[in-house]
Order: sequence, then structure tokens, then C-alpha cells
Amino acid sequence: MQRKKWIFATLAILPTLVIFAYVRIYPIGDTLRLSLHKWDILSKNKPFIGLANFEELMGDPLFLDAFVNTTVIAFGVLFITIPLALVLAALIHHRTRSHFVGFYETSIFIPHIVSLVPAAMAWKWIFDARLGPLNALLTTFGFSPKAWLFDPVLSVICIIVLCSWQALGYAVMIYLVGFKSLPTSLYEAAKLDGASGPQSFWRISVPLLKPITLYVSVVTLVSGFNVYAQAFVLASDSQGAPGRQVRVLVLDMLENSFRNYRVGYAASEAVVLLAIVLVLTLIQFRLLREKGRA
Amino acid sequence: MASVEIQNVRKSYGTVETIKGVSVDVPDGAFVVLVGPSGCGKSTLLRMIAGLEEISGGTISIGGRVINDVEPKHRDIAMVFQNYALYPHMTVAENMAFSLHLAKKSRQETDMRVSEAARILGLSDYLDRYPKQLSGGQRQRVAMGRAIVRNPQVFLFDEPLSNLDAALRVQMRAELKDLHRRLKTTSVYVTHDQTEAMTMADRIVVMRNGVVEQVGAPLDLYDRPDNMFVAGFIGSPAMNFLRGTVAETGVDLAFGQGARLPLGARLTPGTEAVLGIRPEHLSVSDQGEISGQITNVEPTGSETFIQAEVGGQKLSTLVRDRIAARPGDPIAFSLKSDTVHLFDPASGQRIGRSPSAGSTPATR
Repeated sequence: MQRKKWIFATLAILPTLVIFAYVRIYPIGDTLRLSLHKWDILSKNKPFIGLANFEELMGDPLFLDAFVNTTVIAFGVLFITIPLALVLAALIHHRTRSHFVGFYETSIFIPHIVSLVPAAMAWKWIFDARLGPLNALLTTFGFSPKAWLFDPVLSVICIIVLCSWQALGYAVMIYLVGFKSLPTSLYEAAKLDGASGPQSFWRISVPLLKPITLYVSVVTLVSGFNVYAQAFVLASDSQGAPGRQVRVLVLDMLENSFRNYRVGYAASEAVVLLAIVLVLTLIQFRLLREKGRA
Repeated sequence: MASVEIQNVRKSYGTVETIKGVSVDVPDGAFVVLVGPSGCGKSTLLRMIAGLEEISGGTISIGGRVINDVEPKHRDIAMVFQNYALYPHMTVAENMAFSLHLAKKSRQETDMRVSEAARILGLSDYLDRYPKQLSGGQRQRVAMGRAIVRNPQVFLFDEPLSNLDAALRVQMRAELKDLHRRLKTTSVYVTHDQTEAMTMADRIVVMRNGVVEQVGAPLDLYDRPDNMFVAGFIGSPAMNFLRGTVAETGVDLAFGQGARLPLGARLTPGTEAVLGIRPEHLSVSDQGEISGQITNVEPTGSETFIQAEVGGQKLSTLVRDRIAARPGDPIAFSLKSDTVHLFDPASGQRIGRSPSAGSTPATR
């Protein structure tokens, strides 16, 4: 009977498993394989070249540029999103009696579900040097207007702002769930112990939400390293060619694959990206693991 | 240490009033227990003293100072919660030192107070452990420790023993009482367990539906309950109530078919009355004045709990002797008329009760 059930269960799950393996696991394996070969997308020959792709990557200024930009963006988004999401979630959670809670939650979550390109277009308008409201605001307060999307440094900042705006909704939602799981008696005990609101937040909420912070920061960092559309739409160069001003890893991969027809080389970039994300995730797990408690 | 005066305190949530004008005095150094069934408002009252609930009406004073609008941290109280509310990410020492850190006490003073509290509670070997690594009883002690280190004027306990198993509860009960004897800090203790109330309190406040039913020393409540609610709530097993009519003699209660019991007092013949008699005050004897049929027998070794049906009403008794009795057997009881309580069936109030017992201050 047990055996029959087991066979049925396996058969039931098999179709999903096959599709999952084909679209998820096989591409990873194939990317690893391709990264050790030279392939121009058209020819039948895929000669094995060992680690030559990786060696070339280390000296490729375009790749290194993309790598630095992507890293700056990913960490920038992480450092903005995590603290901001925590504070916003705390404010929303501790104002649960307010009639506007639903409004706050919705308005913070909406950016997360809005399509990327239209959202990026809207931000492109906000940052626009001549027509944008940001510069209008700056000039009202007596600051000089800036060419936000044409300056290499400023445009990276713009992308970080856009990505954080999108990541925030999700992070706040997850933190809100975390806050709701913390027992109220802890806050009451802290109140009697003499803790103010900010002290309770810092000494009770932040440490107890560590597992949530781990999850949110892994998700944020991974999506930060996969940044592409935001940079592509937002940061055009002076001639208006998209995505040139701020080169990111995914864009570099796409160009190498489909513009330069160097699929093996692009695959090696993907492997580097995979390795970075893996290592960072491991470090985060190590850093945020709850100490002393099994 | 300080006294706590609760005067005509009310609490309402919208139009629903849950505390309906409660007045209780807790003298300096007393151990007062608020007891009552779930939903009677005892925990709400305690939380109002702590400052965790707003006070809708009346005043609460600690040491003569009205604290209605005083922040919890400035009320100089410490509270032990039912679920302990220990900070899971802090060690035992950190849990106990938390309030001292917030009060910016020196490192030296903090260490001294924490180690002193740990010594009193036998926690010295566990200071580096996390709450998860402790047993229920140890966690309870840490919660106590957190209260002790602050050296507050008043301790508040919100059903602190209800998460412990029966044996540990009895042990912790004794430890808490012993601690109070040593520290002599004014304590207000909430429980729904009347045994806990009887064994620990200097004074018991019995509450029901947001009002105080009676205040008194444990044995006073047991001996002279003001009404049927207190009579039924205090004492285990619960008091028997027999409903009947005062016989033409004026000194007997007639109930069922021809059954009679002495009232121990003289009442107008023909009036309805409820006679209360505690199971332990009924004795089984062949010459007993009441006879009935056994419905259930529960021997516990040291005593036997017998339930019987007498004149259509249920009656239970507790006997110390081992008796060979089985359900269905006939049984006869006798009672001493001075152990009988009489109540008015309409109001539930004691007949011939001492005046103003409901507003007696909870003195030591």
C-alpha cells in the first residue's frame, strides 16, 4: 500500500519536475558547460577552450565596468531598502488603529507590481534635466539643476533610487508579516522596563526580525545583481542609446551573446554572476544566523 | 514599597463597560490576589495599574500619588506576565539587566543587582543561557528576576503560574510566597485558580463581571461568603446548594419529597431559601438526617469524594475515611447546623450577613 502510494506520488509530481528540471536546472548546467567553450551562436563547432573565457573576462574593461556598476547598484539598493523598509513597516504596524493602514500598505506595495518599463519611464521624466519635477524642486530651493541621467555617477544613483522604490513594497510587506508575528507582551514588558518606542524598535524588533532581514536582504541583493531593465530604460547616453551610460552585467551578457555572438563568453559572465550571488548569500546566512540559539 | 488605592475605577471599550466601578485598597507590603472566572476583568484591572490599559473612570494611586496619566515606566512597578515575555535574543543576565541599562545605571551597579537577584532566585548558574535553553520554572524565575532587579514599589503578577505543570505550580507558589516574605514588596496577583488565591493571599478580591463581589482574608471568604457566587467560587470541591422552602417550624428547610435540613437560624415559614453546605462539612452516618442514593464515587487515596442525589437535588461530600460505597447504594448524611450558609435565592446574597463586607479594605 505504502509502495503504491509512493509510486503514485512520484508519477503525479513527475511532469512538474521534468518541466522544472528542463527550464531551471538544465540551463544552469548548460551555462556552466558553455562557459568553457567558444561558440558564435550559428556554427556547429563549439570548441572547448578551458578557462580562456574567464581569463579574458578579468582583463575586459567593459565587463569590469559593468561589474562595478552592478555591485554598486545592488549594495546601494540593499542599504537603502532594508533600513527604510524596517522603519516604514514599524511605523505602519504600530499605527494599526489608524484608518489609513490599508492605504499605506497599498501605496507602498503598488510599485512592486507595476510593470518595470512604464515605471522606469515615469522616473525618467522625474529625473529629466529640463522638464523633470526634481530639478524644478531643486531650483525652487535655490540649488542648481543637475543632469541626473547623463552624469555617470548621478545616473547610478538614479537607478538605485528606482530599484529601491520597487524593492521597498515587497520588503515592507514581508517585514509587516514579521512584526505581526512578534508577541505584544514583549513590547509591553519593554514599556514597563522603561523603553521608549525607538528603543523598543532598536533593541527588540530589529534583533528579533533578523531572520526576516536575512530573507529580505538575500532577495533584494539577488534581484539587485540582476538589474537590467531599469538601467536600460533610465540611463541613455548622450545620443539616447539606451543602457550605455550605466553598463550592468546582464546588459553586458546580452550584448556579448546577441550583438557580438560570443555565447560562451557571455556564459562565463553568467557563471561569475552566479558565483557572486552564491557567495554573498552564504555570507549573509553566516552574518545573520541567530547566535547561541538552536 | 507603597500602597495601591483603586477608587471607583471603570473601563469601557466603546459602549461596553468591562470594569464597573471597582474600589480596592492594597496596603503597603500586602499580597493581594485578584481572583475570578475568565472575563471578570481582573487582568484588565491589573493592566490598568501597570499602565498598559487606559483608565476610563476613577483613579488609581500608588503611594498616595495618582498615576492615571503617568507613563508605565514612571509608575515604579514591575510586572510578571503569564507567558513570561522574556526577550528571546537576550541571555538571562541581559534580560534581567535590560531595565537597568535603559535607566543608564552604572555597569557595576547593574552587575551587582543582577547577581543579587540571580542568587535569590537560584539562577546564578544560568546567567549566560538564553530563554529557549531553560525549563518553564526557570523562565518563570527569570521573569521574577527581571522584576526584582528594579526594586519597584509594587509587583504585579498576571497569572504567572498558569503555564506550568501542576507539580511545578505548587513549588513555585511556595517560592513566590517565600520571596514576598523576604522582600515585603506590595504585590497584586491575578489568578483564576482559587487554590492559588487561598494559599498565597493576605487578602483576596473576588471579582465577577467587572465588579468586586467580596474582599477579605482567605479564611473569612471561606467561612462567611457574602453571596452564592463567592460561596461557590471559593473552596474546592465547590459548596453544595440545596434550594427549598422554610418549613412551618421556621428552623428547617423542606425540599424534595419530605427531606428536611436544619437551617441553623430562624426564618419566616414559607420563604424560599438556598442552603449552602461545604462537602467537607457533611459527614456520612447511618443516623444522618438526610438520606439519598450515591451517583458517583471518586477515591483519591487520602480522601473520597462522593456524589449523591437527595430529594431530587445533587449533594457531594468529601470524607477522609475509606468507605465501601458504590453508585446506587443508599447513603445518609448528617451535618452541623453551624456550618450551614443561607442565601436568598432571588438576589443570591447571604441571609444574615455582616454589613459592608463588600467594601472592606484589603488590609493585612
